[in-house]
Amino acid sequence: MNTVIGAIENCRFCLMCRHVAPVGHITHNESVTPHGIALVAAMQRRGQLTWNTSTLDVLYAEPDGGNCRAHCVTDQPLPAAIAAIRAEVADDGLAPPEVVSAHNRIAENHSAFGSYEPATMHGEWGLFVGDVGFNLARETVQAALKLLEACGLDVVPVGCGLDSGFIPCSLGYPKTAHAQARLCIEEVQRTGIKKLLVLSPQDLFAFLQMHQERLDITWPEDVVIIDLIDFLASQVPNLKLIPPAGITENAAAYVDPTHAVRLPGRFDAARSLCEVALGSAPLELFWRKDRAHPVGSTAIQFTRPDIGVRLTEARLEDAINRGAKSIVCDDPVTLHELRLRDKSNMRIQGLYETMLTRLPPHS
Amino acid sequence: MEWTGLQPEMVRSELTEIVGDAHVSTDEADRLAYATDWFWLPQMWLDRGEAPRKPDYIVRPKSAEEISAILQVANSYRIPVIPWGGGSGSQGGALPVFGGIVLDTKRMNRIVEIDEKSLTVTAEAGINGKQLEWAVNEKGLMLPHYPASANCATLGGYLAPRGTGTISTKYGKAEDLVLRMQVVLPDGHILRTPIVPQHAAGPDFYRLFLGSEGTFGVITEATMQLDYLPECRLLRAVLFEDLTDAIEAGRQIMTRRLEPFVIRLYDPRSTASRVKKILGYELEGAYMVLGFDGDKDIATLQEEKAMDIINGFGARDLGREPGEAWWNQRYDFYYPPQSLKLPWMYGTTETVTTYDKIEKLYFAEKKAVEEGYKEWDIDFIGHFSHWFHWGVMVYTRFIIRNPPDDAKEAVRLHNRVWNTAMTAVLENGGMVNEHHGVGLKLSRFMRRQYGDAWPLLDRIKKSLDPNGIMNPGKVGFGR
Repeated sequence: MNTVIGAIENCRFCLMCRHVAPVGHITHNESVTPHGIALVAAMQRRGQLTWNTSTLDVLYAEPDGGNCRAHCVTDQPLPAAIAAIRAEVADDGLAPPEVVSAHNRIAENHSAFGSYEPATMHGEWGLFVGDVGFNLARETVQAALKLLEACGLDVVPVGCGLDSGFIPCSLGYPKTAHAQARLCIEEVQRTGIKKLLVLSPQDLFAFLQMHQERLDITWPEDVVIIDLIDFLASQVPNLKLIPPAGITENAAAYVDPTHAVRLPGRFDAARSLCEVALGSAPLELFWRKDRAHPVGSTAIQFTRPDIGVRLTEARLEDAINRGAKSIVCDDPVTLHELRLRDKSNMRIQGLYETMLTRLPPHS
Repeated sequence: MEWTGLQPEMVRSELTEIVGDAHVSTDEADRLAYATDWFWLPQMWLDRGEAPRKPDYIVRPKSAEEISAILQVANSYRIPVIPWGGGSGSQGGALPVFGGIVLDTKRMNRIVEIDEKSLTVTAEAGINGKQLEWAVNEKGLMLPHYPASANCATLGGYLAPRGTGTISTKYGKAEDLVLRMQVVLPDGHILRTPIVPQHAAGPDFYRLFLGSEGTFGVITEATMQLDYLPECRLLRAVLFEDLTDAIEAGRQIMTRRLEPFVIRLYDPRSTASRVKKILGYELEGAYMVLGFDGDKDIATLQEEKAMDIINGFGARDLGREPGEAWWNQRYDFYYPPQSLKLPWMYGTTETVTTYDKIEKLYFAEKKAVEEGYKEWDIDFIGHFSHWFHWGVMVYTRFIIRNPPDDAKEAVRLHNRVWNTAMTAVLENGGMVNEHHGVGLKLSRFMRRQYGDAWPLLDRIKKSLDPNGIMNPGKVGFGR
């Protein structure tokens, strides 16, 4: 058995990540918890089940948000195992049509959501914009670029409209994912970037972990990959942001973006920026920090869109239940999904856009 | 045999009327996921590629009223109903051994009220234990029931088998923390037990549902006692050369009411294997973790008094770090591949009795199991972890690393080992179980356990559930 797929043998009867498993939590269904999915996969391999509508519904219900592994003492790579099994299913021609269609779009355009525009400029510092940022949330990208400019950096936008390989890998198409990953690296190298800031945690996870673990791709050693939020948190003294006056208690809730649990170092940085931008500490959701649940922005929007929508709605409900009047988040991917699903007229604000309004006029 | 034809569709349509189509499933994958809980036998059965007995329906109600209606349907058609919480029980208590309706309670996960004056929380029974704990933690409170299954078990699952958590030695078992419950009886009647459990207004009938594991009804809501999060937790580890001395030291600490929140005493075999594997300490003897919590001054004094007792037995003080390491990693024992896992055969034959009997019981069971299954190179390990004023629980386990490959042979060997272990337990004044419950696994020992008292329990069951629909095959009750 493929080494990664071996994780299903450890996870099939283990219930220890149930408390943070987002799909299980919103569906209350045993079969779409990490253990349930692993059990179905393990029984398929033992010939007790075949891949059919019922079992494929389970296999494609895993959101690849990293919650199970983030809470696994023995670090079982179940999301990677499920991606590998989906690859077998796709090879056998059994992937659902919606999955095939999403994959084909990426394979043809390098983007699931629009178009890819290769970078033409050169520089030492780059900002990886990504697919959603470029095609669906440009205001966040513009705000991030202006903040970086205020920090005195001349930054080259790269990866504009380019999927980092995360979505095709998670859908079960490692060859396409591999090609996307190579394209990301080639563009960074072609533009001479040595310090790559990454806007979305989804792409950051892909670069820091997924490329190596699932695709056997190593980034060039001379490129330093940096979470944008960490960098901006370190630049707060230089930015000289002007906090809003007279705010002692906030009605804005910070939503840890999808994949945040895979990047725990960013929890404090995000909150420190929120405090500066909002004038006081943000409201905390119940599902926060190391237990943060994803919105439906991962490959689940293609594999099980019904579940993806419910994941996002659950984040909005969490904010409403905490008494929030608005939501703030840094990730263009998460922001886009929240805005798409909100029916409560909640104000959903980009953290970088909000920070921009706090810049001194001369910046 | 699978149930097919018109009648199953009739039932499904009635269930759908009650909870909505989205909350009734007969999907193949769903039925598989609910075909096993954490009991070794069904897991082994699946592991060997054998077909399990699956439920016919999975139903996810949202309220006691919906459960009431479901039970009325089940009575009409004489269909078994198996209440399901987290599916984390190790005794097969949630197995659909006769098919029927698995009643998954996890949609009932609302916190109804946190009373910060009386220090209680009222919540629906399907709430996840850890999520409930997080919610009360936000108020500076804790539900002092910390079982290893907290990540996956539900509140109802804490109560139905009379569970015990890591800090029970000070705070009590789950059953000691419950003030009040809402229960749906097998005929669909919904009742609430009195507002408080300690009174003199008649018999303590609410306790009937604790330990009944869904055979007397479905617990749908409970009010639980909370405590303030402790100001401090003082932990340390000590090493005894001799297990007998260690048990006696524990007894003295408890009978002098020094109130440790934990005394975890590993027998020498466990010290050499599990403590080494998980915590990395290579030690010979009996490893004891001792903890005191609450007000710092009081906890410090309690710890000093306990250490006076321990020093009297010449035990070696290993200091705070190994005690704290155990506390921080106490659930790591349950994550595969660190946990006991297939293809090994294993079982936890935990039991409880009074101090005058516990040591004799432990050694009698150890001898019976080790000598009875020498040809299988059986390993017998244990720890003493839930201490009372009058006695202690011993968490004994057997492990066979090369069990039969054939699933049916494995079942026979597994049950023979259990017969041997439980015979030794019963002959030496032990209970067949202290906190995992009875389930399917221990059902066959219940008549021996209760002797003359069994017919009374049986009559109560028949009176409450004349059609025998509630979790048949469990807790000694047949179908």
